[in-house]
Amino acid sequence: MKSSQRRAYNSFFYIILLPALILILFLTAYPIISVTYDSFFKYDFITQARTFLGFQNYVKIAGEELFQRSFINTFIFTMVASVLEVFFGVLLAFLLHRQFFGKRVASLIIVFPMIISTMVISAVWQIFYHYEIGLFNFLLQKVGMKPIGWLIDQKIALFSIIIIDIWQWTPFAFLIIQAGMLSIPSDIFEAAQIDGARGTQIALKITLPILASQIMLVLMLRTIDTFRLFDKVYALTGGGPANSTQTLSMFIYREGFAFFNFGRASAASVLTLFVVAFLALFYVRSLLKEDN
Amino acid sequence: MDAFKKHLRNVLFGALIIGVLIIILIPIYWIINTSLKGPREVISPIPSFFPKQVTFSNYSSIVKAGIWRNFFNSVIVSFSATLFSIILAFLASYALVRHKFPFNFNRIFLIWVLVVRILPPIVLAVPLFSVFNQVGIINTLGGLVFAFQIYTLPYSIWIIYGFLKSLPLDFEEAALIDGASPLRILVSIVAPLVRSGIIATSIFSLILAWNEFLFALLFVRTPRLLTLPVVIARFIGEYTTQWGELMAIGLFASVPILLFANVVYKKQTEGFSLSLK
Repeated sequence: MKSSQRRAYNSFFYIILLPALILILFLTAYPIISVTYDSFFKYDFITQARTFLGFQNYVKIAGEELFQRSFINTFIFTMVASVLEVFFGVLLAFLLHRQFFGKRVASLIIVFPMIISTMVISAVWQIFYHYEIGLFNFLLQKVGMKPIGWLIDQKIALFSIIIIDIWQWTPFAFLIIQAGMLSIPSDIFEAAQIDGARGTQIALKITLPILASQIMLVLMLRTIDTFRLFDKVYALTGGGPANSTQTLSMFIYREGFAFFNFGRASAASVLTLFVVAFLALFYVRSLLKEDN
Repeated sequence: MDAFKKHLRNVLFGALIIGVLIIILIPIYWIINTSLKGPREVISPIPSFFPKQVTFSNYSSIVKAGIWRNFFNSVIVSFSATLFSIILAFLASYALVRHKFPFNFNRIFLIWVLVVRILPPIVLAVPLFSVFNQVGIINTLGGLVFAFQIYTLPYSIWIIYGFLKSLPLDFEEAALIDGASPLRILVSIVAPLVRSGIIATSIFSLILAWNEFLFALLFVRTPRLLTLPVVIARFIGEYTTQWGELMAIGLFASVPILLFANVVYKKQTEGFSLSLK
């Protein structure tokens, strides 16, 4: 290639990369810098005056019960939901490992929950969870049990939301783990069977260890997604009852978009980013390892 | 194994599968069931598993309330966001695959794309709201198309990058010798070769955008500009027991997406087994 042609080619690459680069930086890098900057100020929405506060926003928020509560709730939700989703996903993958009539249709149906809008899902579960006229309490009373305050009992509400998340996202865990299973060469199983291994032995000692990396991947992906819990809480409880379903995302939303306390919303955002950065470290490392 | 034990096992297995399918299908069935009930039956303390009297009044009333408007908002926004993402992602991924930028930039860029996937979007919402407001694209569908790039662009780059990386150089080199321009090569040689990857990515991106809630809630306020998920959220908040209409809207929002279930199943399975080998 001639050098002039090569130079033209080089600039071509720069030109086609630029739009995506600029857009991504504008949508992510800029907000992060801006949020960090804002977190050190008190911003008066009406007079538009800024006052420098140093770390005061952070100190104040970290000491508040509501923030601590949001943090703990987010943590509980993330841990319980993502672990159970992966657990059930593995079970499902094992269950659907063998061939049976209608397997294709069954697999298709299992995909449904993860592609329907979270809002539609929240709406229908709200109907199930209704205290007086909901399906669940109706069934409970039918078998002689007391009705449960699914969304109005502060000890239960967070777990009711966890149940919805499990229903919605177990299929995702299932899909990835199933893909992992399909890529295991079948002669491994045959060899084990010839050696006289039983079904459960094969599952525990051969399949599971091979799937370890997929299981970690799904666990990470689910952790990342559950950590941002917002939609379901917004639609179903608004953070109540008595803040028992308040999450970090809800906290930031309320400070920023309901009270217009941009300084406090920003400080909470930066604290959230620190936790996320920790997750990101594991996530990026393992994905890059897979990529190589 | 004796025949009886084997038989018992098969029955147990079948029961488990059916149990799982029921758990998955009941909420979806309930959407249809409730949407066909009249207003009285919906709030009856004894929930009925079949509508006693099938009525389409919920559908006619949401159509009268202008649901098509919101439906088309969702269509316009998700298609534009996807088209925009796919074009930008295709161009950027091609540059990253075929050119080594200085300062290890390729790797840094890809890592950043991964990191964006992790960021909780609410963290970006406050500063973006101010900028969008200053530029004058708050409360517009165009603004949403931009905001949705936070989800769809990194995702599309990552997947299309994977497809392009596995493409052999031969075709492009041959075309170059024939004197084709780089843009020409990109459009008429590279793009057709990764067509199936682009279609799969588009479908995933469409679903992401179709279901997006946070920015759709925060950045658009005018009722006639709302997308379907926000209409549903408002409905849950305002009319606590008008479930018939709510479920009718829910069905509107689900049917177009469920048509893609087959592709999602196939591509998700293929895609991950490919990258994990």
